[in-house]
Amino acid sequence: MDTVFTGKVWKFGNDIDTDTIIPGKRGTIPTIEEMKKYAFELLKPEFASTVQPGDILVAGTNFGCGSSREQAATVLSSNGVRCIIAKSFARIFFRNAFNSGILLITCDGIQDVCEGGDMVTVDVEKKQVTANGHSFTFGAIPQNLLQIVENGGLIADTKQRVAAGLKPSVCHKLDDAARRKKGFTMAEKLLRCNAGVDAIQPGDIVITHPDMFMIHDIYTPYLLDTLQKMGVEKIADPDKVTIIFDHCMPTAVAGNDSAHYDAGLALSDRYGIKKLHVGEGICHSIMHEMRYAKPGEVATATDSHTTTYGGAGNFCTGIGTAEMAAALATGELWFKVPEAIKIVLNGHLPNGVLSKDVILKILGDIKADGGQYKSLEFTGPAAHEMSMPARFTVANMALEAGAKCALFEADEKTAAYYDMPLNEIDWVCVDENAHYEKVLTYSVDELEPQLSCPQGVDNVHPISEVAGTPIDEVYLGSCTNGNLEDLAVAARYMKGKHVPDDMRFIVVPATNQVYKDAIRLGYIQIFVEAGAVICHPCCGLCCGMPYGLMYDDERILSTANRNFIGRQGTKKTLSYLCSPAVAAVTALTGRVADPRDFTTTEV
Amino acid sequence: MSTFVEKMLGAPAGSPARITPDLIVVNDGICHTAVEMANLVRSPDKVRVIFDHDVPTGRPEAARVFGSIRRFARENNVRFIQAEGVGYQYLLEQEVRPGQIVVQGGSHAGIYGSVGALGINVSATELARVLEHDYYNTVVPETVAVRVEGTLPEHVTMMDAAMAFLSENPCLAGKAVEFCGPQLTAHQKAVLCSMACETGAFTAAVTDTEDQDLVLDLSRVVPMVTMPCSARELQKDAVRQPLAVLAGMRLQAGQIGGYTGGTIEELRLAVSLIEGKTLARGFRLTVAPATSADFLKALDEGIIERFIDFGAQISAVGDHSVVTQGAGVIGKGEKLLTTGLYTYAGCMGVQDSEVYTGSVPSVMAAAVTGRL
Repeated sequence: MDTVFTGKVWKFGNDIDTDTIIPGKRGTIPTIEEMKKYAFELLKPEFASTVQPGDILVAGTNFGCGSSREQAATVLSSNGVRCIIAKSFARIFFRNAFNSGILLITCDGIQDVCEGGDMVTVDVEKKQVTANGHSFTFGAIPQNLLQIVENGGLIADTKQRVAAGLKPSVCHKLDDAARRKKGFTMAEKLLRCNAGVDAIQPGDIVITHPDMFMIHDIYTPYLLDTLQKMGVEKIADPDKVTIIFDHCMPTAVAGNDSAHYDAGLALSDRYGIKKLHVGEGICHSIMHEMRYAKPGEVATATDSHTTTYGGAGNFCTGIGTAEMAAALATGELWFKVPEAIKIVLNGHLPNGVLSKDVILKILGDIKADGGQYKSLEFTGPAAHEMSMPARFTVANMALEAGAKCALFEADEKTAAYYDMPLNEIDWVCVDENAHYEKVLTYSVDELEPQLSCPQGVDNVHPISEVAGTPIDEVYLGSCTNGNLEDLAVAARYMKGKHVPDDMRFIVVPATNQVYKDAIRLGYIQIFVEAGAVICHPCCGLCCGMPYGLMYDDERILSTANRNFIGRQGTKKTLSYLCSPAVAAVTALTGRVADPRDFTTTEV
Repeated sequence: MSTFVEKMLGAPAGSPARITPDLIVVNDGICHTAVEMANLVRSPDKVRVIFDHDVPTGRPEAARVFGSIRRFARENNVRFIQAEGVGYQYLLEQEVRPGQIVVQGGSHAGIYGSVGALGINVSATELARVLEHDYYNTVVPETVAVRVEGTLPEHVTMMDAAMAFLSENPCLAGKAVEFCGPQLTAHQKAVLCSMACETGAFTAAVTDTEDQDLVLDLSRVVPMVTMPCSARELQKDAVRQPLAVLAGMRLQAGQIGGYTGGTIEELRLAVSLIEGKTLARGFRLTVAPATSADFLKALDEGIIERFIDFGAQISAVGDHSVVTQGAGVIGKGEKLLTTGLYTYAGCMGVQDSEVYTGSVPSVMAAAVTGRL
């Protein structure tokens, strides 16, 4: 790689999400060579046919936010992009881009002096970018990342390591006394315990040995392919790996999904991975339901919403496919220790207001990049009052603020859910003397139901500002709010009632276990009698799969976690996010309604 | 003595007849364009607009169709039905009465003959005319009377019998097929009447006719399959043959659903065939209950839970005979055996895949072995 190079500019604004880089519906095309033709297809349809090797992207803040899909980086590198300059980057994209050999430069200022089509010069040694006669400096690039770029990306880098013969990785976790040492954030505690290091502070790079790796079916073909390219014959510990088919199962996109199914089975066969769940529900819900991701441990997965199990005090965060392949081979994964924000939840949630409303409120306040690289750590009476599923909802959606992880303290409820002695996990707690970058305090007593409005997760409004908006379709499901407790909330509002004849009301239980429990408790029957269609447990419409896709100008209200443009239909579809209570009463009336105005029936 | 269709149309075979329908049905299958052609609705009370195919909407285009037919229903004060499952089965159970005439855009309208009503399949253009005028002109067809004898062997269903009947009697196009089979259950009659129209028959019905042009001997029926064909227009010419010819062929997927495989009778049969067995690795099984009423019964009887434990994927209620994008589709080079009604290339996924139709016992046997 040249230390000084010049390229033509493609200019972008703030918050360019991974769906904008490569739409979710294109994300399952089995080959990158085909997929790369759709890069930026909604925003800059001319991009893929015009971009030249060596072109440089110049963007604002939070470039690459959204999903964990490595393809957002690889469609760019395979289109010849070798450098992106932005005011800031989303954290998973940051890893993925370096791993695919793209140099990322964090620089504020260059955006104001260049336009698309201008030339920009990068000098890596001088840490300087220049365009139209104006120069700006940028910060240091971590040495381990620069090395990966110099080696041509993580695949080539790991291939060299595998060829040289991998040594069995040794894992020294801290003992109970050491992990109880005070003065750390929860993220620091979990990382230092797993990595076996006593002293730790934000910005440190630590090498962890994750206790569980999870791969879902969007990435099975790419992972299989990457492992082969790296020359990996054997993975470090197959018992620490789970494969879950949930995005492409049931197979619904005919040109793509069967390849993901076949590749998932092949991965399981070739590498002896026995934890295999085919069409049994959404990966994140299965990860806690099966107790694969436990309190006090570290888990990682090829999905952005991996933050979910932080609800149980598990350090968990999403990574890309190449990184997963390298980690499966070595059993190791580096993390940069995040700064932390403490969020204190005081008071008691009123009737009709749920944990989803809490996290939506926080998202609206701190915005889509407010938790960038941060550990959001929840404490206070209202946090402890939340049930485990309610905590998983909060942790799941914290990712939408860019959080590295979102952690709840391990308490009696955690211990009961996991059937573990409390004294084995109660060290996962907030220390009074830990350093927090900031502390946010909320009193939830007065909280109103909240909605994320078109078109962005952080465009949050209280229900009083949105009530009465006509809605065409309501979707109850997803790893955010497809749990039994969520279905129970909706069933209490809907029992004995019927939706308007033109309301499309779609219910997708999160897992087979949730589905079966909901049948036994009569919730499914309540929904069917109310006019719902029930789909098999899967990611469904939440990730843009064909389970209720919408047309131009139609409005969908869903309990899912993302309302990116184009995700639930066309780029003119309007998408709202809310709690299961708001979803239920809105389905009944056909307009955004406030659950506090409705009575419930025992179910 | 007049035949069923002569009585219903009020004229002898070969004469023109003008009938006034009791029900006019529009759905989101292929006839929904009728709503764009019809300028008015003469008798709104008779019209049912049903969204039952692409459920839940698998493409933004399907949502556009939903909006289009919903708007038509609202503007014309017509009843709109959705989320109830396959329209044919829903209407058969909930609305259609003996002696009624149902005009519908759909090649399986003969199903209403199972309860002594006359089902007439018309094009979208004709359907628009019927909506505007409230009458329909036709020439009364010739009738073929079929005596149904004997009982079905084990693991053979009326779907096999209907396929066998069609393969043995290639000249039904334009005819009314009148079955006499007092021993048949209501569900068997529905399957027989709807499928009897697949090769182009005008309609079908079960009556107590004493005429006899043909005999369908149920005791001789063997498991059958409908072979893949290249295009929708050629579906009526698709080859039907005994399953044994292809026995052992590897399959990647199976589907039971629709009124041929998703009614409560069929779901009960299907679940009885998997007792103590496991789903073949690499085989995907989709179960789509026909109507919400069937689904509710299956929930209450524990059938859905047993399918879930077996590893089946439970689809939304609805008509999933044609799914270009949505749960249960198959990919390049894959083969599907379904209780659906079509086998043309691309009807259940990519062009480069093969769809076979077969009965519930055939699909469930494939689910256990991974092979036909």
